[in-house]
Amino acid sequence: MSRMLLLRRLAGNRSILLAYAGAVVLFAVTSAFSPGFASASHVRILLIQASFIGIVALGQSFVILGGGIDLSVPWTLNGAAILVTLFANGKDGPLWWAIPLVLALGACVGLLNGLGIALLGISPIIMTLGMNVILSGALLLYTNGAPTAVAPSAIQTLATGRVGPVPYDTLLWAGLAAIATLVLTWTALGRHLYALGTNRTVALFSGVATLRVTVVTYVVSGVAASLAGIVLTGYTGQAYLGMGDPYLFSSVAAVAIGGASILGGSGHYLGTVAGALILTVLAGLLPILNLNPAALQIIYGLVILVTVAAATLPGRQAVAR
Amino acid sequence: MGTGLEGGVEATVLEQGAAAAGPRGRRPRRSALDVALQTAPIAVPYLMLGVLIAVYGSVGNGVFTLGQLNVQSAAMLPLLLVATGQTIVILLGGIDLSVGGVVSLTTAIAATRFGHGGPRMVLWALAIVLLGAAIGLLNGLLVARLRLQPFIVTLATWSVWSGVALWILPTDGGSIPHGFIDWANATPLGIATPVWLVLGLVVFWHWLKRTRPGIGIRAVGSSENSSYLSGVPTTVTTMTAYALCGLFAALGGLFLVTQTASGSPTVGNDYILNSVAAVVIGGTSLFGGRGGLGGTIAGAAILTLIASVIFTLNISSFWTPVLTGVLLILAVLANSLTQLYTRRRGIA
Repeated sequence: MSRMLLLRRLAGNRSILLAYAGAVVLFAVTSAFSPGFASASHVRILLIQASFIGIVALGQSFVILGGGIDLSVPWTLNGAAILVTLFANGKDGPLWWAIPLVLALGACVGLLNGLGIALLGISPIIMTLGMNVILSGALLLYTNGAPTAVAPSAIQTLATGRVGPVPYDTLLWAGLAAIATLVLTWTALGRHLYALGTNRTVALFSGVATLRVTVVTYVVSGVAASLAGIVLTGYTGQAYLGMGDPYLFSSVAAVAIGGASILGGSGHYLGTVAGALILTVLAGLLPILNLNPAALQIIYGLVILVTVAAATLPGRQAVAR
Repeated sequence: MGTGLEGGVEATVLEQGAAAAGPRGRRPRRSALDVALQTAPIAVPYLMLGVLIAVYGSVGNGVFTLGQLNVQSAAMLPLLLVATGQTIVILLGGIDLSVGGVVSLTTAIAATRFGHGGPRMVLWALAIVLLGAAIGLLNGLLVARLRLQPFIVTLATWSVWSGVALWILPTDGGSIPHGFIDWANATPLGIATPVWLVLGLVVFWHWLKRTRPGIGIRAVGSSENSSYLSGVPTTVTTMTAYALCGLFAALGGLFLVTQTASGSPTVGNDYILNSVAAVVIGGTSLFGGRGGLGGTIAGAAILTLIASVIFTLNISSFWTPVLTGVLLILAVLANSLTQLYTRRRGIA
């Protein structure tokens, strides 16, 4: 039954298959124009870069599936990156408590977002936009505007090291994707999440603990953004201010490409994974086409617009007056 | 419907009176709390502003002078211009996150294309204002015709126009000719241009409020379906509102470059949250239909003065975003709780 549910959701959801097909085609085309793009070492780099978008977008997927949006990911990510380097101070020793602490702080950010939205009825856009600005100010206050510590070597290994041909980071991402798929497809929480995103009132009357499920989605997003921040520091070697900024648009774009409805209730994290891969290949394509790096931001925006418009158009008759 | 259009406090009272008349035709007694809650959206921001001015007066020197009025008006004006556009869109029941991209783009174009001033500068300034309106019109078109959610449309166009700004001007820089800066620093009749512009905005608002689109915006914000059924051209109204928002964002960016004398591809991002915060702190409801520029002016002044007080007290300026964010969330909370309470009373 449950397995059929997954198969049906995947087969029935053509947009997820389309997203993977798109990723493969895009990769093939790019490789054809650029020798070395498909080499094992470059594919590893692409996978690592895609994982940052993918991990942030895991949280964003949960939030969007539940009918919300999380605009606080940039500074949640940045905060985790800054704090983990500050706590560890370049040494591996303190990581055993620093990493759990930073993830817990990310969970607290999500908890506050979720409570403000579900309990106090504040609109998700305002709550998370406000949270993002509060976090930016708080982190600037804490670090006095200049974080300096270097990422501990263990985190750098996590981000760039590998077992055999596969990077640790890819294993981490695959593990998270498996867990997310498990939760979305086979657990009550997953089903409640889809119910919540489809229609909050109906979900409430059907016995879904809407408050708890909403809060859980934002907590997942807070933890995911923090984790991405930790791994990203390992990749860049250092935390810097503004490192989270690109991930607001890219995480929403990855979810949108993956075929999820931006209004909630439909989509799957497996689609988002394809979305993250597509965005990463696109970013790799820009220098080949001699395009300005700023084009990436334009592409993120256009991709969100086009996918959202395309998903909305077929249903337009029903909504139209 | 007629009562909802003139807006402000009176309309709320009338609406509530009509709704509360109930089947027996007897108006329930309005407690002092009801009256307080109905006047709160406009009274609270001005009370807060009064307190803030008093605090600033006690810690700063020469606060109650014409010079200080000129300085603070200039500091407030870019935000107020962007927030004026945001007020219009929020009154409509929407939200515009793309103002960040528009402000950045405006400063980028101005800093790279104004040259040494003269007619070229004037033409480019006009083009920038038109571009802002066109960008807003596009948002409005996507929201009204394709019936997409305003937040996702403007999130996407925010990304697009920030990208274009980065393309034109990759890092902070460029230059603004003196001719453009002098105009903003002039003091006709001893009062600086920004003060006159704030007065101009007030006059504009009183005019707009009575025009057909102005009434339509408030009507659509109160109930899109009822407005449509009452003959309000909802599509055109929505597009007008977003076009005005883009236009005001461009004006905000143009005024900003007179202060920074350079462009920045990212400076606009600060104006997204701040413009929404100015509107909401000013008592305009995020659900649409209620509020106006009067509150927004107080909201923008509060946010500007907080920065000044923090600067005067020699506290880290990093506190400004923290306070702004907290104030925004508290204002939204107060607004929705008030709305919940008055609605309950109206039905009871």
